[in-house]
Amino acid sequence: MMDEQPKRSSPKQSENGEKGNCVFSPGFRSVAAMAGWDEEALLMASLVVEDTPDRDAKQKRRSDPLFKTPPTNSRRKRRDQRKSPVSLPVAVLDLDEEEVSREEIVEEKKEQKILVDINSKKDEKSKESTSESSSIPCIDRLREELSCAICLEICFEPSTTSCGHSFCKKCLRSAADKCGKKCPKCRQLISNGRSCTINTVLWNTIQLLFPQEIEARKVVGGGGGSKTLQSTDLQSPPARRRSQYRSVVEALNSPEGEQLSLERRRRTVNHHHHNLRQQQSFRPASVVLLNSGAAGDNSVSRRRRRREVVVVAPPEQDEDAALALRLQREEFMGAFGGSEQQGRRNSVATATVNLRAMASRAVGIRNHRSGGGR
Amino acid sequence: MMNSGSLTGGRSWPSRTSLTSSGKRIQKEMAELNTDPPADCSAGPKGDNLYHWVATLFGPQGTPYDGGIYFLDITFPANYPFKPPKVVFKTRIYHCNVDSTGNVSLDILEENSWSPALTISKVLLALRSIFNNPNPYKPQVPGIAHLYLVDRSKHDALAAEWTQRFAK
Repeated sequence: MMDEQPKRSSPKQSENGEKGNCVFSPGFRSVAAMAGWDEEALLMASLVVEDTPDRDAKQKRRSDPLFKTPPTNSRRKRRDQRKSPVSLPVAVLDLDEEEVSREEIVEEKKEQKILVDINSKKDEKSKESTSESSSIPCIDRLREELSCAICLEICFEPSTTSCGHSFCKKCLRSAADKCGKKCPKCRQLISNGRSCTINTVLWNTIQLLFPQEIEARKVVGGGGGSKTLQSTDLQSPPARRRSQYRSVVEALNSPEGEQLSLERRRRTVNHHHHNLRQQQSFRPASVVLLNSGAAGDNSVSRRRRRREVVVVAPPEQDEDAALALRLQREEFMGAFGGSEQQGRRNSVATATVNLRAMASRAVGIRNHRSGGGR
Repeated sequence: MMNSGSLTGGRSWPSRTSLTSSGKRIQKEMAELNTDPPADCSAGPKGDNLYHWVATLFGPQGTPYDGGIYFLDITFPANYPFKPPKVVFKTRIYHCNVDSTGNVSLDILEENSWSPALTISKVLLALRSIFNNPNPYKPQVPGIAHLYLVDRSKHDALAAEWTQRFAK
């Protein structure tokens, strides 16, 4: 690196030059050289770069080898290094007595500072452990104020009574059911309708202040509800789609499904394209099949199947996608073979074979066609 | 078929939540009592059963019960906090609101006066307050209530004697 440095200076200057060498990247130095900067200008620049308020006087620092020592664990030092716009390459140097002692002093100072740092960190941590989520000073008071007197947790979907007291909507409802229609706090009569509305401002505030708690309660409390919802048929589009896929697999696994596949097998090569379209149009029919076919299964295997069926990609009108889907379905049927009832196994196996044959033929046709087309 | 499955799921679910919600609430109260115990009393589960607690009350100064330590049994109903806990004195006490079997007449512990917003620490506070101010107009033991109203000093002497005999 030293060789790259333009050298037209005294040994002392070259020492400083080495310093500059340490502070600036080669790229910077080459640019500086192009700009016509000499050693002194570089030196000045290095001082500017290194200048941090908590250091010693500049004069002393200029020859201070501490700046060239490899990075230590000191946080302060690391911070200083981060401050400088260029990275400091590691330079090995001899330290004479005086510098060592100074370094020790600096090190001591650093240690003290680290201790202070650690203490303050500890304080922060203890504060954090009590107030958990955020740095709001009165978070504990807030937690107390915003918790429901019935379940003693943070109000979940708070509902405010006409007397001004707020509880979880669920808690307030069950309190009204089991303990009479009076406010749990002040025993004033509460009306029916009021206990069902959520205090949105309060609810939003709570969600902002205690996102983790609310999220946890949503998972715990809402999990059961959504689970039961999922098993019914009127849900979100993905769930519906999933059940549709389940139905497709059901249909293919059932004897009727086998019949369909046999029929399809019988179709001629020329009708290949039409065949695929036909298969697409089968889907609604197989949905109908599901309702009868699924009845015999125990819920465990059904659940398992649903989970696996999710992997199936949604169908495209595209021919290729249909082909891929068919192959995937075939794979699934192979996978499900084990979990199926004994009686069905054979039919599934034959269906698998049929499908595989069909798929390979389809591929062959495609190849043939594309070859012929050219 | 599917609907029936979801229905059974729905049927089994609420009972489970209500059970765990009462358990959760009791656990919360326990944690609160541990971190911030009320003056002159303590409470906690007897053993593994979260619904069966033991509590101790210290007789407050300036009353004939001063120096006595009173043990109580607290039993939580399954639908706590919507129904009040049952509190029974295990230590004998000469008090017009506590009978010889330990049953307490305390308005907030009655079913129609109980509020789900009340906690065990509030119940203990109320129990402490009847040491200071017995309620002779709603007595569990009318004889003691009568004596309390007619001859207060004799009542207090008897109560202090019982404290010495049973609660030390």
